[in-house]
Amino acid sequence: MIPIKAENLSFQYRQNSKIILQNIDLTVDKGEILAVAGLSGAGKSTLCYCLCGIIPHVYNGLMTGNVYINGKNTRDLTLPQIATMLGIVFQNPDNQLFSFSVEDEIAFGPENLCVPRSEIERRVTETLKTVGMQEFRHAGPQQLSGGQRQLIALAAVLSLQPEILIFDEAMSQIDSAGKKMVRDMILKLKEEGKTIIMVEHDFENLALADRVLVLRDGRLAPFNGQLL
Amino acid sequence: MAGKVSLDPRTKLFMVLAISSLAVFLTNIYLLLLVLLLAVAALAFAGGSIVDLLGKLKRLIAIFIAIVFVQSIFTKGGQPLLQAGELVILSDIGLTRGIQTMLRFFIILSSAAIMTTSNPREIIQGLIQCKVPYEIAFMVTVAIRFFPILRDEVNDIMTAIQLRGINLKQVPFLKRLKTYSYLLSPMLFSVFMKSQDLSVAMEMRAFRAYPRRTSLRVLHFRTQDYQVMALCTIIFLAIVFTALKAG
Repeated sequence: MIPIKAENLSFQYRQNSKIILQNIDLTVDKGEILAVAGLSGAGKSTLCYCLCGIIPHVYNGLMTGNVYINGKNTRDLTLPQIATMLGIVFQNPDNQLFSFSVEDEIAFGPENLCVPRSEIERRVTETLKTVGMQEFRHAGPQQLSGGQRQLIALAAVLSLQPEILIFDEAMSQIDSAGKKMVRDMILKLKEEGKTIIMVEHDFENLALADRVLVLRDGRLAPFNGQLL
Repeated sequence: MAGKVSLDPRTKLFMVLAISSLAVFLTNIYLLLLVLLLAVAALAFAGGSIVDLLGKLKRLIAIFIAIVFVQSIFTKGGQPLLQAGELVILSDIGLTRGIQTMLRFFIILSSAAIMTTSNPREIIQGLIQCKVPYEIAFMVTVAIRFFPILRDEVNDIMTAIQLRGINLKQVPFLKRLKTYSYLLSPMLFSVFMKSQDLSVAMEMRAFRAYPRRTSLRVLHFRTQDYQVMALCTIIFLAIVFTALKAG
């Protein structure tokens, strides 16, 4: 089954006459790392929102075409249903962490899905081990560096056990040490067979990808080393 | 004893409700003073800092002195203690009511300080286990969690304003108020953006997927919680009975 497929996807925000995404066809294979590059304002985050169902479920606008996650149309899925198949890590770790401790943050998703307590405990331990942050289990988010916070945001997503991950410029607001942490983690997740979509404008991070596309004028094209 | 007793946050909530209720209903100054002493003792028992509390109360003294005079000026009757011509500046009724108000505030602040001895996560869990809807408890979590971040942002904006050459200490009060209005738009924009990002992040982690949810951590009452609640109830009833008897 194809993890992510977009068919003739177009999108326009309600208050904006510009069509952000135009007739996009995209298929991402299982275990692949796909990077999408583009200039600021090119619509990279909008593409992420369409691929993970935030559009049309949260943001309003004119969306045509379809996005399929594991063969299911995002229009027919609820966000909680999507959350178990696909996780997204956003740019700013501060706006993704809302609990008082790392443990609570990671437990939040499984708690919402009524996962039994013993299983939540196991997932918290396991995801903290995956991101190498076991010793910070009872720390508060404020006690962590930017890179560590982003890893916790990722761990919080991983606790829902999705097979597909989207990183929406997840390395743009962290220092070089933090970037290295997240890059290493992306490679580790690829080894585990996860399908990964990275939205990036940092050329250094594009090297992680199996395939790089560039979003320009609302359309996706193969990347030839130039964003313009 | 202070700092050694770990009570369930629901027990502390029970204590706070009992003490605050007495503060609202009692009028007898001696009983109010007794309740204040009990509130301070409860705070110490729960592991709170009395020194911090006194620091907070000290800042409010000027307000209560003002209340005594306002009560004296606007309340008719009573024996004047200080007057300028026909105007009664200080009367025995004003003084009594001012002291009552002051004691009530002190009791409420002291009892509220009891809750600060629990960590916010435990308080939220306590609220949930008291059947407060999770959405409301979660709103409290987010408010507590993001308050320091918003405060830092306000400070950043204030610094940015001052870096543009406005020395707030030298600006007259009215103009300073106008300067504070410049805080509004960047603050509102920032709050809206944050809340939008936050809500999307929550939705993508299955927030409100079902009407119920599990909790990783669950609070359990211990023997000492039952003992404290029983003692609290006995003291509460004794004070109410004394107040009723005293009329």
